[in-house]
Amino acid sequence: MAGAYESAPGTLACSNNEWDEKMKVSPQKTGILLITPSVFLICALLVYPVLYGVWLSFFKKHSFFPDQRFVGFANYLYLMKDPEFWMSLWYGTYYSVSTIVLQIALGVIAALILNEAFRGRNFVRGVVLFPYMIPTVVAVILWKWLLNNQFGLVNYLLLAIGIVKDPLSWMGKDHIMASLIIISVWEFFPFVVLSVLARLQTIPPVLYEAAKVDGASPWGRFIHVTLPQLRNVLFVVILLRSIWMFTKFDTVWLLTQGGGAEKYIRTLPVFAYMRTFMYYQAGLGSTLAVIMFGILIASTTIYFKMFRGEEGI
Amino acid sequence: MNPKKRYQVIIGSVCLFLLIVGGTSFAAKKVINVWHTETNPLSRKAIANIVERFEKLHPDIKVEAEALAWGDLEGKIMAALAAGSPPELSHGQPITCAALQAKGLLLPLDDVVKHIGEDNIWDQIKKVGKYGDHYFGLVHAAGTSLLIYRKDLANKKGLKNPKTWKDLLHNAKELTMDTNGDGKTDIYGVTIPGDNLFINILLGELTKANGGILFDDQNRPQFTSKCMIEILEFTKELTNYLPPGWEGHGYRETFANMYGQKASMMYQGYGRGASLIEQYAPKDMTNTDYFDVWVKPHGPSGTKPAAQVDEEPWMMFKGCKHPKEAIEFLKFFYQDDNYLEYIQTVPIHFFPVTKSLRKSKGYQETPMIKKWKGWLDVQEHYLDNDLVKPTLVIDWKDMTTKPYLMEILGSGILKDMVMEVTKENVPPRDATRKAQKRAEELIKDKGYAKW
Repeated sequence: MAGAYESAPGTLACSNNEWDEKMKVSPQKTGILLITPSVFLICALLVYPVLYGVWLSFFKKHSFFPDQRFVGFANYLYLMKDPEFWMSLWYGTYYSVSTIVLQIALGVIAALILNEAFRGRNFVRGVVLFPYMIPTVVAVILWKWLLNNQFGLVNYLLLAIGIVKDPLSWMGKDHIMASLIIISVWEFFPFVVLSVLARLQTIPPVLYEAAKVDGASPWGRFIHVTLPQLRNVLFVVILLRSIWMFTKFDTVWLLTQGGGAEKYIRTLPVFAYMRTFMYYQAGLGSTLAVIMFGILIASTTIYFKMFRGEEGI
Repeated sequence: MNPKKRYQVIIGSVCLFLLIVGGTSFAAKKVINVWHTETNPLSRKAIANIVERFEKLHPDIKVEAEALAWGDLEGKIMAALAAGSPPELSHGQPITCAALQAKGLLLPLDDVVKHIGEDNIWDQIKKVGKYGDHYFGLVHAAGTSLLIYRKDLANKKGLKNPKTWKDLLHNAKELTMDTNGDGKTDIYGVTIPGDNLFINILLGELTKANGGILFDDQNRPQFTSKCMIEILEFTKELTNYLPPGWEGHGYRETFANMYGQKASMMYQGYGRGASLIEQYAPKDMTNTDYFDVWVKPHGPSGTKPAAQVDEEPWMMFKGCKHPKEAIEFLKFFYQDDNYLEYIQTVPIHFFPVTKSLRKSKGYQETPMIKKWKGWLDVQEHYLDNDLVKPTLVIDWKDMTTKPYLMEILGSGILKDMVMEVTKENVPPRDATRKAQKRAEELIKDKGYAKW
């Protein structure tokens, strides 16, 4: 071949040009080629599992064995009539709304404090993040010990201070939801602190100075300067935390692991898990997952419609 | 070649060599995966020692033994089977063994039984894993549930072994005490775990002790029966003497209630409690003068006591890679010297399945066995008189005719029913109707309904 190139250089040059012309790819095609791997990954890792979940929800299927039968919308109709489903929906909504409200309130207060200058601030900022860094399983075990009604530290302190006369059964029917909310808020409020604190540090001091000149009180400065500046970050934080708390499984499940009081914190993700891995009804489990997905899509859409335009997010 | 490049080539060659040699030596070994439920450090160590000795004898076999919590096991087995990569051996609930055997997912362990000698195995044990002429499960050790009580307190009150549930309620009332006169209860009469597994165990036991059944021959649940109503009424009354928040107490917390002197009786106790008492109770109380066992009472419609037997069988799975090697490992495990080491890790809970070990000097002279003999005598009484069955099994034929018990256990239907009656004050009849409906739906869904 080398000899051929050498004996006919003109031919070679002509061939190269043709080759270049042939290989010339339009920018559109290049773009498509470049995004193909990403599209493939998204389809494989996101679209396929979601569609498979939706498809499964139309089947009566054993979780582990290949027994399956098409049942159409029977799973959906069954759940609509199932009181357990409605109870789980209620528990899930109650849990997510309460924890979000408390996380936001506590997170914003903590961020405001940590934004002030005081001795040891950096240390406290680090410590505040601890709950978010601790693995959930460790956090839950720790709290179960603290809240133990016979030997726990929390009851000991409450009795010592005189707030209660008898030890509270934190893991019992009456207080299990409160325990779950306390643990979840403790575990996840640092996320709010982190996000809000980052935003607080970028608010121009001149805004506060102007407000002071106008005679605004500290409360007035918070309402008229800080809060409007935090709106965008709170919009995103509330959205993310709502999705995460509504689908939260590990903390809820680990707290009772099927224990007696589990019935009183059986949120939708736990109910879906139980249907799939304890009743071995993968079809119903998928139906529950699809319903949860639908609820989240609907509520997110409403949330965006209510606040997006106003905030320009 | 410059020095830098030379070093790179040398390091690369060494890595390649190690990879090839390591890979070859690993590939040459046959790996058998063994899942068991004995998570306590002593039992894990005993299994590790047995594995080490076995591997020395069989250099071509590697045993990967993993201790799993009860709650994790069933799901993990199912997931492994579905993925087509089951372990060679695993413990499991007897009803799991029954369900998997019915689906044709287990391999027989006849060679192991033959090696041990069928006559050398207790008859009660054989009932758990024998299906037709083959053994698809072989119990690793048996331990029955026990009614543990504070003997010192009972003696002070002049209380005797309760014969009926009414007697038990009387004892519970007497043993619920305010010891320092401040008007508050310091020691509660009874402690029971509130978690799903133990509520199912409890209801199975109480049904047997009350002469009832859970499912009829058509597989229809019998939750609305007079027997179940009586059980729920009894349980409701019993909760008057349970520590507040009992429904949140796990199995280990109920032991803590006993050795921590917060409760006088433990209805769902087990022999392993003796080890915990020795470990955590005040030293002068770690004996049967303080913690002893009574034979369990029977219900108003029953005549005989009943208890549950914790006897998880080893199972070998169809589709596992090295069944022959797994059989060899089990034969080695049940050899008297190895088996004794395992049994001695929880001696009051692990009843040996082989008669030879039971009679052996090594076993009989185990210090804990001598010390807590009364606890073993009650277990032996239950086992010899067929007063114990696995969880939710009322009659031995349930093992083969009711393969849906595993799903009933997992569903939490029975636990919810108990919680509704005891915690939500739902009348027993209403709670049983709801549970009946849920169980019927589940059995129909699984395709076992014959009514």
